[in-house]
Amino acid sequence: MNEILKIENLSYVYGKGTPFEKVALDNVSVSFEKGKITGLIGHTGSGKSTLVNLLNGLYKPTSGTVYLDGKDIWENPKEISKIRFKVGLVMQYPEYQLFDETVRADIGFGPRNLGLSEAEVEERVLEAARFSGIGDDLLDKSPFELSGGQKRRVAIAGIIAMRPDVLVLDEPAAGLDPRGRREILGSLRDYANRMNASVILVSHSMEDMAHYCDNVVVMNSAKVYRTGTVNEIFSDAEGLISVGLDVPMISRVAKELTSRGIALEGELYTVNGVKDAILRYVKEGKR
Amino acid sequence: MISDITLGQFFPGKSPIHRLDPRTKIILATIFIVAVFLASNPATFLLLAITTVVLIGISRISMKVILKSIKPLVFILLFTAILNILMTKGDSAPLLSFWVIEIYTEGVARAVMMALRVIILIVGTSILLTYTTSPISLTDGLESLLSPLKLIRIPVHTFAMMMSIALRFIPTLVEETEKIMNAQKSRGADFTSGSLVKRAKALIPLLVPLFVSSFKRAEELATAMECRCYRGDKNRTKLVKLQYKGIDFVFTFIFALIFGGVICLNIIPYKFDSFGLIYDIIFYKV
Amino acid sequence: MKDYIIRTQNLGFTYDDGDENSSSEIPALSGVDINIERGEYVAILGHNGSGKSTLAKLLNLILTPTVGKIYIDGKDITSDDFTEDDVFEMRSKIGMVFQNPDNQLVATIVEEDVAFGPENLGLPREEIRRRVDSSLELVGMSDYARHAPHKLSGGQKQRVAIAGIIAMKPRVIIFDESTAMLDPQGRHEVVDIMERLNKDEGITVINITHYMEEAARADRVIVINDGKIALDGTPREVFANVDKLRSMGLEAPQGNELILELKHAGLNIKGESLTESECIETLFKFLS
Repeated sequence: MNEILKIENLSYVYGKGTPFEKVALDNVSVSFEKGKITGLIGHTGSGKSTLVNLLNGLYKPTSGTVYLDGKDIWENPKEISKIRFKVGLVMQYPEYQLFDETVRADIGFGPRNLGLSEAEVEERVLEAARFSGIGDDLLDKSPFELSGGQKRRVAIAGIIAMRPDVLVLDEPAAGLDPRGRREILGSLRDYANRMNASVILVSHSMEDMAHYCDNVVVMNSAKVYRTGTVNEIFSDAEGLISVGLDVPMISRVAKELTSRGIALEGELYTVNGVKDAILRYVKEGKR
Repeated sequence: MISDITLGQFFPGKSPIHRLDPRTKIILATIFIVAVFLASNPATFLLLAITTVVLIGISRISMKVILKSIKPLVFILLFTAILNILMTKGDSAPLLSFWVIEIYTEGVARAVMMALRVIILIVGTSILLTYTTSPISLTDGLESLLSPLKLIRIPVHTFAMMMSIALRFIPTLVEETEKIMNAQKSRGADFTSGSLVKRAKALIPLLVPLFVSSFKRAEELATAMECRCYRGDKNRTKLVKLQYKGIDFVFTFIFALIFGGVICLNIIPYKFDSFGLIYDIIFYKV
Repeated sequence: MKDYIIRTQNLGFTYDDGDENSSSEIPALSGVDINIERGEYVAILGHNGSGKSTLAKLLNLILTPTVGKIYIDGKDITSDDFTEDDVFEMRSKIGMVFQNPDNQLVATIVEEDVAFGPENLGLPREEIRRRVDSSLELVGMSDYARHAPHKLSGGQKQRVAIAGIIAMKPRVIIFDESTAMLDPQGRHEVVDIMERLNKDEGITVINITHYMEEAARADRVIVINDGKIALDGTPREVFANVDKLRSMGLEAPQGNELILELKHAGLNIKGESLTESECIETLFKFLS
């Protein structure tokens, strides 16, 4: 099996026993594979942020288990902080977590907590900076001098520097312009491939899901609504719409054309996929 | 989660005390505090204790909440009570005496009065102010009461605005603290173990981002306020204007009577005698 | 003569970074001439750091232009005899909604926050009450009048912030990346309100954004790149320049991108493709 992270019958209840009790996650089971990018979608309040906080042990499950490499992460609660080095979590707007004097020191914070030697820390810092596209000239600057997009990349590098087996990113491109989005999301494939790591990407953007992910987990009102490959998930537009989500505009276009008798085939959820399908359609002389 | 904490212990409600003007409540609380400190004999304490109980009844704040608010004081109350009992020497023969310890009626009386004073003070002012008044109307009340100070160029409005902005942003900052803590924990930071020095050092990754973002917030808020034409209290009007109602006068009148009562009762000379304190409190005749 | 509410002439701004030796001071904005008519719905598009937010801050005199002139409602706000009172009056005409909803709400109760602007204007209490109620109604937040802002969702907070601006009855509202921090639902809510304010209330709306879906809904799109105006026209005109937009780090709607890609691949497609249905029609005509 290629799965690295597996959750079984996981539930989480906020404020249990108080009048404000709220079930945020209800008996969820799902697993994540090595070397793959899995998208996690769902509208606000669907439970995806709670799930993310359970994956690296920031929250303790009310019931159910999170298995990392086959081992319950809560087996020894005192060791839970070690799990966080293996399941790296990039929070929303992670640039708020920058604090150190230089970019180099800030990226090195995680590896240093890991207890690595200075030489190893330095190696990790350089590696993570390369992954995230941070130039050497930035390493000795103060993180507070950087632009918004650069800060975001430094924060992500701070997690990557711990070389996590599972990299979880909660809306890593929120608020960035298209170029910034591409730079950050594009680097994820590289990480997944080179480290054979499992990358979990939380996003509201269907276009990003379609473009960057292999598999998708759809959440709806505290449960997993559906899991599957990008192709499987986006071919069911009605289902996505029924849980308050949407499909990329380009998918709707392809779908409408198909329903009017122009049978396009292939990966009909990215501009390139639809382009290829149309080119094939023309080439095969169906027109 | 820490974001669940309630601020200032305010319990929303519709009781007559909730409906009092905040200025009235501040004035009444002041009268009450002075009365409690003036009280010097069992009769006055009885009057004040009754007042407090009646206030609790009117405010409809549950007894549980009141007891909870006294709980943290129990240790200090006991400690001072014991000191009072042991250290006070009386004129008559001691009530109890063994080894080097002698306990006199006066000591017991003083201990009980001391404890009563503190409890009445805390409960009474809590009922009048914090439990029944939202922090923001408390601020409004203070601003209004202190407004004469503007004449001697004390920026009362600015202080009140600062206070209300602080109140507005406390929940935001609590949330932010939690967020940054989780982010740093995700990078292996440990806030809970190790020596004091180590723990203090571990706070740097939390405090630096918190300061940075607070400054950013402050700057953005100032810009937003300017864009909404804020320029201090120059020509400023208010949506909600504080207004004294009938109930405010009723309460003020009653409190004036109680205050008068306390002063009258205090004049009556009181001396401890062999009947003992409990007897005094119950059977004391004016 | 057209009725311009905002007019800029050769507007430029350079941030003073305090470093006296730095010779490489690149202006954040230079040579900007923009004319915006009363009642227009304009989107200003540009990548992060393109200078679009600087423009917003200049129009409201949060920043003072290094060079050039700005006329609001025919008045030169950059002239030396523009007094503090004039600035005050000008700001009551040009409302601004910012990016982070948390950092623009002042009060601990929604309706008191909405009242903040009118209170500063020194309006009588009854008038403030009327404005607060109608503004909250307009953004659909009347039910939350007595709530604490920190318990609302991002989109709801932003709607309260907008109500606070509407209550000042401005002629123009500038939205400075007001949707950047919101989820898709919150973004929809805010953009819907923008359109309502423009169509029903006749307010001039300027939406500064880097989301092209939002820009495509405006009547006019101005693209700013490296501190200069790069494109200016209807969404149809602007988004036809897919290659140019890409080179500026922006995107065009997926339909436009698809048609362009197909053209690059040698297909001879003609027709509009800005909206979903246009794209479908164009492709359908070509393929059937």
